[in-house]
This record gives sequence, structure tokens and C-alpha cells, in this order.
Amino acid sequence: MDTPAISTEHLTRRFGELLAVNDVNLRVTAGQFFGFLGPNGAGKSTTIKMLTGLLAASSGRIEILGLDLACNPAEVKRQIGVVPEGMALFGRLTGAEYLNFVGRMYGLDRETAAKRTTELLEFMGLTDQPKSLITDYSHGMQKKLALAAAVIHGPKILFLDEPFEGVDAIAAGTLKTMLQRMIVRGATIFLTSHVLEIVERLCSHVAIIHRGRLVAQGSIEELRAGVEAQAASADPASAPDATAVRAGEKLTLEEIFLRIVGGSRLAQQELSWLG
Amino acid sequence: MARMSSGSETRDQIAAIVRLRWRIFVNSLRTLRGRLELVSWIFMGLGFGVLGVAGTAGLGVVGWALVSRNETEWLAIPLWALFLFWQLFPIMATAFSENFDASQFLRFPLPYRTYFLVRLAYGTFDPATILCLLWLTGIAAGIGIASPSLLPVAALTLALFAAFNVLLSRTVFSWLERWLAQRKTREIFGVVFVLFVVSFQFIGPLTNYYVRHYGKNSRPEMVNILPGFLPAERLTPPGLAASALVRESHSDPAAALAALAVLCAYSGLFLWLLDVRLRAQYGGENLSESHAPAVAQRGQIAVRSGWNLPGISAPVTAILEKEFRYLSRSGPMLFLFLMPIVVLLLFRMGPAGTGRGHAPFAPGVFAFPLGAAYAVLMLGGVAYNCFGMDAEGVQFFFLAPLRFREVILGKNLAQACVLAGEITIVWAAAALIFHPPAMGMTLPTLAGVAFAAIVNFTVGNLLSLYAPKKIDPSMFGRQRASNITAFVLLGVQVVTFGLVGLAIFAAARFGRVWLATICLLALAAAAAAGYATLFQRIDRIALGRREALYGELCRTHAS
Repeated sequence: MDTPAISTEHLTRRFGELLAVNDVNLRVTAGQFFGFLGPNGAGKSTTIKMLTGLLAASSGRIEILGLDLACNPAEVKRQIGVVPEGMALFGRLTGAEYLNFVGRMYGLDRETAAKRTTELLEFMGLTDQPKSLITDYSHGMQKKLALAAAVIHGPKILFLDEPFEGVDAIAAGTLKTMLQRMIVRGATIFLTSHVLEIVERLCSHVAIIHRGRLVAQGSIEELRAGVEAQAASADPASAPDATAVRAGEKLTLEEIFLRIVGGSRLAQQELSWLG
Repeated sequence: MARMSSGSETRDQIAAIVRLRWRIFVNSLRTLRGRLELVSWIFMGLGFGVLGVAGTAGLGVVGWALVSRNETEWLAIPLWALFLFWQLFPIMATAFSENFDASQFLRFPLPYRTYFLVRLAYGTFDPATILCLLWLTGIAAGIGIASPSLLPVAALTLALFAAFNVLLSRTVFSWLERWLAQRKTREIFGVVFVLFVVSFQFIGPLTNYYVRHYGKNSRPEMVNILPGFLPAERLTPPGLAASALVRESHSDPAAALAALAVLCAYSGLFLWLLDVRLRAQYGGENLSESHAPAVAQRGQIAVRSGWNLPGISAPVTAILEKEFRYLSRSGPMLFLFLMPIVVLLLFRMGPAGTGRGHAPFAPGVFAFPLGAAYAVLMLGGVAYNCFGMDAEGVQFFFLAPLRFREVILGKNLAQACVLAGEITIVWAAAALIFHPPAMGMTLPTLAGVAFAAIVNFTVGNLLSLYAPKKIDPSMFGRQRASNITAFVLLGVQVVTFGLVGLAIFAAARFGRVWLATICLLALAAAAAAGYATLFQRIDRIALGRREALYGELCRTHAS
């Protein structure tokens, strides 16, 4: 059996009394475009932080490309690229200086770091303001730069926390093109996003976390089949909601997600004072 | 729909803001850092309390004495002192100023009047305003005791004077915020501000220098010049307040009223300027610094390779280069590093610098140690919060495939390089301003700098992890470091400078300066052992503190 790109065993994280991530067992095969979904506060960012070494797990085990993260943090970090929640940029460097810096931190030699910096800035369309500091960049430009920094060392796995948040359609198109090229070349991408249409279009496999627990995992087709089977066995009168399975129609990922995390019930609640 | 009347809505909004501030304060006590900050505030509060009570009593006596002796015109002096303190203290000691961005409330349906009141109220509760209000009360009480008939006019005059000062300080702060909202103007202002602060330090030495240079003959000239300024002084707010009291005490109510009217006009002017600024904020002015999307030029761009330092690993070199780029882009920071030379110039103008007065040593003997001590002090500002400027970037250090000690090493190396350059410049400046420092003073000073720098690096590394503070240069009134850091920094400097000073002074006194060098080198070796011990453990400490670091440095919202 192939070594999974990412696997966790009983991954748990507590913040005082709060169980943010509870006994999560993830398995992501190499080469997958993997979407990690969940409602706000479900534990997505906490999980991604633990997978990338930004946060310690309270218990459990993480393996990245067969390496135990706790025992080989530096070796694992060399193989992965990350766009974390806050982008982790250094605002008072220019884009080129930042990419050069990141390349050197990942052990690239000076010439390679400079060459890749040029290529990435051109690919991302960030060459028009070479002397601007990152702090003066727009949000979309910062996102593109963060992604460029995450890939400069040619990682085998890319972790992206909400990469499309606050990004315009043109920038999003550039990011998607780049991610798809990486998948074609054999990289693994682990992404969290609230934009389920994008996840459905890009990802082959997804996992859904809800209140810290992993409630679904598999290919989108597997999840769809599971939800449809569950709906077929249920009494139609007991689930008269917007996400009910319609005969002959394929459920969208959003509908699958809502059925799994139970969001449809909340949507039906009335707020009579709202216009 | 359940809507309240406009008046009660405004009251409720103000009450909600007060409750918000209270909850932010109470919630801050949940963390150890918050509780320690409270302790430091209590100590500062005690200090301000003593200053307030003593100042009130003292100024009360001054007011009483001047009115009793019929020298009311001299009240202009305490009023000028109050005016300067009121306006300059909040700017110079931004650590004690209100630093909550009240413009955040603009997203709520706040009527302009409420917004204006909130902005005004924030300024009224800063220590300078509270102290000055107390001191003005003291003056009014003193005047009232000396001449009860003068009390109503004194109370009115001083109340108007207080209103003028509150409006002026709020206007200054609101316009400063406008200029500081953009990075380039902010950095220009930073340099101007440091120049302004530095220029103040020259007043005393220049006066002494002038008096010494021209001797007693200069005094009659100065006495002749001063009355020329008096008519202009009487048109300034402190002069007008004093003038109103003088006229009233001379039974000339019309002239007193005229002076008060001009004081009111001043207040009106600043009220208008404040209104202009706050209305622009209220109207949603755009101070964004992001560039407009430009047409991408898909041509080749020239990217220079990073630094290459033999014997130093690529990641450490990269951090070193990044630190230098950060320092070189901070105007105020660069200017701070020139401060040791300014101190030497001040020293040159003082009694010890000229060999006059009661200095026991030849002029300039201690110039190099003094400049070097100042250089170490300036370094403290950077070393004690070394992740503050990195802000969100700190996460990168935990994502990159390196041990945290390499990050610390890169930062400490950058600081050490800056310090070494600084010490060289100070030595050259001391040589030019006085005479080349003797070898007997140079060696112990260098040993002392080594000791102090290692201690500062060690404590600075720890505090950078335990009490980090995000440095946001976009807002005026933000602290450069936490209160805990400021206290520890002060304590460490007292101890290290005390030991270094004691060693050099004692050895110089007994004519065996080489002894000081040996003592200080021994201390530096002990400090280096402490540094090495901490360095071995810094990875573990950093991993343990990483969540607190993200919490403090990566948050996007103020307070």
C-alpha cells in the first residue's frame, strides 16, 4: 500500500475546556486535491495549523509523507508549503525581497532563489510595482504573494487555509491555474475554503469536520452517494427542507455539506423581525 | 419597530461604549500578562497620584502667594508650564496615552454629535489632562484663599483655559492621526518628532553655554530682550488667562472680559479645526495606502540575489539581511541610532564637557563610555521586542524548516552588527568632539559594552517571546513595547550600567583601568554562559510560547 501524503491518528487538540479537534483520523493520498470543509469554528484552521507544525497537538499522531511530524519537524517542513490564515508576510519587504528571503530560508541557493522569484512574480502578475512594500499591497496581491512564497521551494504538499478569501476573480483564476498545474505534476494540495463551488470544481476528495469531529471523508462521489442513500432510506416527511434529494438531480457539494452538518434546519428558522 | 428617541439612543450608545471599554479591561485580566500590566499601571498611577497631589498643593501655594503679594501677572509662568506639560506630555509619553481607535465606532449608526463627544471624552481621561485639571484647581483654590472676590473670575478663566487645552490637544492628536495614517508621511513625521524631542534637550546646555560664554555681561542684555516679547506673550492662551486675572484684580472687568473673549476665540478656532477633522472621519474619508491596480508589465524584472556571508548558514544570513532591510526602512529607528552622537554633543556643552564646573576628571574622559552606554540603551528598544515589527510574519519562523535558535541567532547577529557599527561611530565622534579616547578607557568600555550587550540579548530574547507586542506604526499613541518590557528594560539597564560604571569609575579613580577591563570581561564571560544556556533552550521555549506569540502579533484588530 502507498504511503499516504497526510495521515493523522486520533488527532486531538484542547484549548482549556474546549475540545477544538477531537480524535480526527485523516488520510490523504498523494496527488489528491483535497478539500477540508466545516462550518465556522469547526476546527479546520486548528487542524491545518497542527498539520503544518504551527500548533502542537494535545494528543494523536501526524504523518506527512510517511514522516512523523513530531519527530522530524524540519524534514517535514522542507517538503510542504503553507499559506496560513494570516499569510505570515513581512510587510516591510518588497515582494521580490520576501520571495528571495523565503527561498533562502528553505535552503535554495542564491541564484535559484533569485530565478524562481523572478518567475513567480511574473506568473502572479506582481511585477508592476517592484519597489512597493508588501504592506502597501492590496489584499489580493498579498494572497498571490503568499501563495508564491508557499511554492518557491517546490513543495510536495501544499496546505492552503482559505486561499480564495478576499481575492478577485482574476487573481482567483491565476491561483487556480497554478494549483491545477501542481496537481498535474504530482503534488498534493490540502485546502480549506468556505467557497464550496470552488472546492467542488477543484477537489477530487473532501473531508468534513464538525464540532471538532471528522463526520465525512472520501471522494465527492462517495459522499454524494452516502447522502443520497441516507435520504432514500429516510421518511420524506421528516426532512422537508431545501436540500432534500430531488429525483434525477445530482446533489451539489453545498447540499451535501448542509445535509451532513445539519445547516438546513438553521436556515429554516424564522427571524420574523427581519424585513 | 422598537426604536428609541434620539437622545436616549445617544445615551445608550455612550453607555455601551463605556461598558465595552470596561469589558475589554476586565477581560484583559484573564491573562497573566494582563494582570502584570495592571500592576505596572497601579505603580504608574501611584506615581501620577503623588505628582497630582504635590502639584496641586504646590501650585495652590504659588497662586496664593502671587495674588497675596499683588504679583498676579507672574501667574503666566505656572500657566505656561501647565500649557506645555498638557500639550507635550501626551506626545512625548505616548505609552500613557489613550490608544483605542475610536474611529472603529463609525460602523455603527452613531450621530455625529455622539462621535464628537466620544473622541473628546477619550482625550479628557488621559493622565496629562487629569493632572492639569487638578493643578488648575489648586491654582484656583490658592487665588480664592488669597482674594475671595477674584475667585469667580479665576474659576471662569481657568475653566476656559482648561477647555482650550483639551480642544487643542484633541485637535493636535486627530490631525497627527491623519498624517500618520499613511506610511510615508508617518516616517517623515517620525524623524521630525525625534528632532523635536532632541531639540528640547539642547535648551538647557545652550543656555548654560551662552551664559558661561558671555559671562555676567550677557544678563542685562537678556533682561532687555525679554520685555520685547511680553506684548506677544499676552496674546497667547496662557498669557491671556493671566492677563484676565491681572485686569480683574486691577478692577478692570472690561479688559478682563476682552482677554477672555480672545481665549474663547482660540478655543473656537481649535473646536472648528477638530470639527473639520472629525467630520472628515465621520464622512468616511479614504486613507488607504494600497496602490490602484496598475497595468501589469509582463516584462523581465531584475531580482537581485540575497546576501552571501561566508561561515554563516543561508537561513541565518537571510534573517540578517531581512533585519537590516527592516531597520534601513524605519526613519525613526535610524534616527534613534544617531542619538548617542547627539548625547555626546549635549555632553560637550555641559560642565563636564568643558572642564568647568565641578567635574573631577579631564573634559571628555567619559564621553566614549557615555555614548556607548546610550548606544546599548538604543539597542534595548529593538532587542526587547524583536518580533514586534514582524507581526504576522512571526508565523513564518514556525513554518520554515529551521530551528528557532537560528531565527534568534540571525536577529542577535543583526543587532550585534548594528551595535558594533554604532560603537565605532561613537568612538570616532568622541575623538572628533573631544579627543581620541585613551586606550585605558576604550578597552574597559568595550568590555562593558560586551557585557551589557550579552545581558540585553539574553533578557531581550526571553522578553521578545514572553511579552511580545505588535508594533503598528499606523496609529499615534501606540506603545513600542509592553509595560512589563519597559520595566524590565529599565531594571536591566540600571543593573548593567551600574556594574559597568562602578568598575570603570573605581578603576579610574585608583589609576588601574586595566582592572576594570578584566572585571568586565569576566562579567561578559558569565553573561555569555547565561546566553548560551538560554540559547540551548530557546527552541523549546519558543514552541511553548508560539500560541501566545500568534495571539499577540497576528491579531488584526486593535485592543
